[in-house]
Amino acid sequence: MTTDTQSVDLVDAEVVEQFARAAVLAALISAMAYVSIPLPFSPVPFTLQVLFVFLAGLLLGPVWGPVSLLLYLLAGAVGLPVFAGGTGGLGVLLGQTGGYLWSYPIAAFLIGYLTHRGVDLADPAERSPIALGVILLAGLAIIYGMGVPWMAYVLTLDLVEAFVLGAAAFIPLDLIKLLAAVAIVQSGRMPVGEG
Amino acid sequence: MLEFRDVHYAVDDVSILEGISLSIADDEFVLVVGANGSGKTTLLRHCNGLLTPTTGTVLVDGIPVGADLVAARTAVGMVFQHPRDQFVGATVGEDVAFGPENLGLERAAIDRRVTDALAAVRLEGRERDRIDTLSGGEQSRLAIAGALAMEPTHLVLDEPFTGLDEPSRKALLEHLGALADAGTSILLATHDLRGVVGLADRLLLVVEGTVRADLDPARGLESLVDAGVRIPSEIGGTPALGSAEAGIGTGSE
Amino acid sequence: MLVYEPDDTVAHRLDPRSKLAVQIGFAIAALAHTSRRPLLALTALTLVILWSAGVRPFRAIYAYRYALPFLVFAPLVAGLTLGEPWFDVTDASQSAAASYRVFLVIVVSAAYVRSTPVRASRAAIQRTVPGKPGQVVGMGVALVFRFLPLLRDDVRTIRDASAARLGTERGLLERTTHLGTGTLERAFRRADRLSLALQARCFAWNPTLPPLAFSGLDVPAFGLALLLVGTATL
Repeated sequence: MTTDTQSVDLVDAEVVEQFARAAVLAALISAMAYVSIPLPFSPVPFTLQVLFVFLAGLLLGPVWGPVSLLLYLLAGAVGLPVFAGGTGGLGVLLGQTGGYLWSYPIAAFLIGYLTHRGVDLADPAERSPIALGVILLAGLAIIYGMGVPWMAYVLTLDLVEAFVLGAAAFIPLDLIKLLAAVAIVQSGRMPVGEG
Repeated sequence: MLEFRDVHYAVDDVSILEGISLSIADDEFVLVVGANGSGKTTLLRHCNGLLTPTTGTVLVDGIPVGADLVAARTAVGMVFQHPRDQFVGATVGEDVAFGPENLGLERAAIDRRVTDALAAVRLEGRERDRIDTLSGGEQSRLAIAGALAMEPTHLVLDEPFTGLDEPSRKALLEHLGALADAGTSILLATHDLRGVVGLADRLLLVVEGTVRADLDPARGLESLVDAGVRIPSEIGGTPALGSAEAGIGTGSE
Repeated sequence: MLVYEPDDTVAHRLDPRSKLAVQIGFAIAALAHTSRRPLLALTALTLVILWSAGVRPFRAIYAYRYALPFLVFAPLVAGLTLGEPWFDVTDASQSAAASYRVFLVIVVSAAYVRSTPVRASRAAIQRTVPGKPGQVVGMGVALVFRFLPLLRDDVRTIRDASAARLGTERGLLERTTHLGTGTLERAFRRADRLSLALQARCFAWNPTLPPLAFSGLDVPAFGLALLLVGTATL
């Protein structure tokens, strides 16, 4: 054997498992860019990416959840068609919805940290639905807390105007995603912790 | 040389392997058969340290697997079911290069290994092809090329025929036969014995976490009937067993 | 859809790092200005950059058409006022200029997208971000690219199956839960298989990096990036 095996620094099995999940979840979030469920009563498209921001934090925790969202943003930045409407490019991250996108890893971190009460993964299904709902609301607050001011800044709007344009119509839909996230976590069909 | 010494493996007090001892020489073609849940996948995953025995030892070329994981994983190439989920590159060349890159080889050495591995599975010159554009059979061969690029002395395959049509399956078998002839030992787990038995030097029957039988497949196949293995007629099973299908129990996954 | 296409344009021959630098420079310059003359200059530059990558302007605009409604509504929302004079033209036109520059920032990415294969982006990431974080994000981006088509199929399969079984009149919550559960289950199964394959092939923190090298063309590109950053201070 010509290979010097001592110089190869293998990635630990537990890290590989979590990394693989983070990468595949990032691909799933990306795939969701193509799904929009049309709503008869609203011109706003219903996309599911925020649902998976919630789930990244809930299921992958405060380390690999944010990593997953970071991979999603990077994949978009280098041009994969992963953002709304199947677009990609660094410009989207700096455009009017950029604040929402940048908030995703931070929201996933907060959700993961509060759900698992630290960096070691626990089963989120053991938390009460009310507790999970409150945690996800905090995550949603981060998303809008970053998304709205950034939109106001780049479009030179005031905060109320930016809220009307970029938030008001979406919030009821995000609350549905919040309920769905809680239901999914508590379905007992999700693997948790070290695989 | 691949060696199991009294290997036991349990998860949460549920015993899956119960004292496996065997050794496989560098030029053997070994079939591993057994029903779902018999422990054959678990057994295979001990060969390169994906699983660690609860008690007992697995040795690759005389070295315990746990003592040098990199050596074990380069010496034992492994191919799983569902090739689509095993690729890491978008193109054929990028994917095959993944293993040698992890070994830290020079770019020229990596390129040579990619060329050789693709030639071994008859995908030469396809480096730039997108993996999405390959057929099912080509993807199975590509998964093998990814393992071969580590230049292993043993190749372990777990149900590699799942989802393949008959011509692809036959082609894959021919490649395995050629690899064995070229000196790579093959450990092949399959529930589908058609056309396989003639290639193999040995057959291991795994039942309930033990090797129930270790025999020459050219003889002794009848003894498998008791264990619920159906023998295809083409290889001389008794007429009563002359089913066109081969398999073990409910076989497929 | 606008994605990487093999070609031999100027942009295709540039290192991804210098293309990223130009994009960042462009964004910094654009976000610093809303007056007419800089916007005209940036428009001209956008056309040049798109040309350098073989992207026709209308194609770039079409690719990013999803962004247009926001940018059209923004000036309206900005102009509307509660009470006299009901519509403030100054506010609206300022927001229109701001929307326009944002659209330029978005559209200019089309040049990078068409001219840069993921393998080159990955190499650039791993050469810019050192050590383990670089390996995580570099390999991670490669894997997102590899798995995106598989998961797109999963999503489609589950959505179609759910439409057939649940019908379309089921509540939005139920459909969302169903789609989320089904796609996640499949995704995690794929991830577990991927994890085994990565380990079997010695997934390491210190691999040989994909090849990447600057050329003479990259010097003017970096110069342009610096110049753009400089204009932000004007």
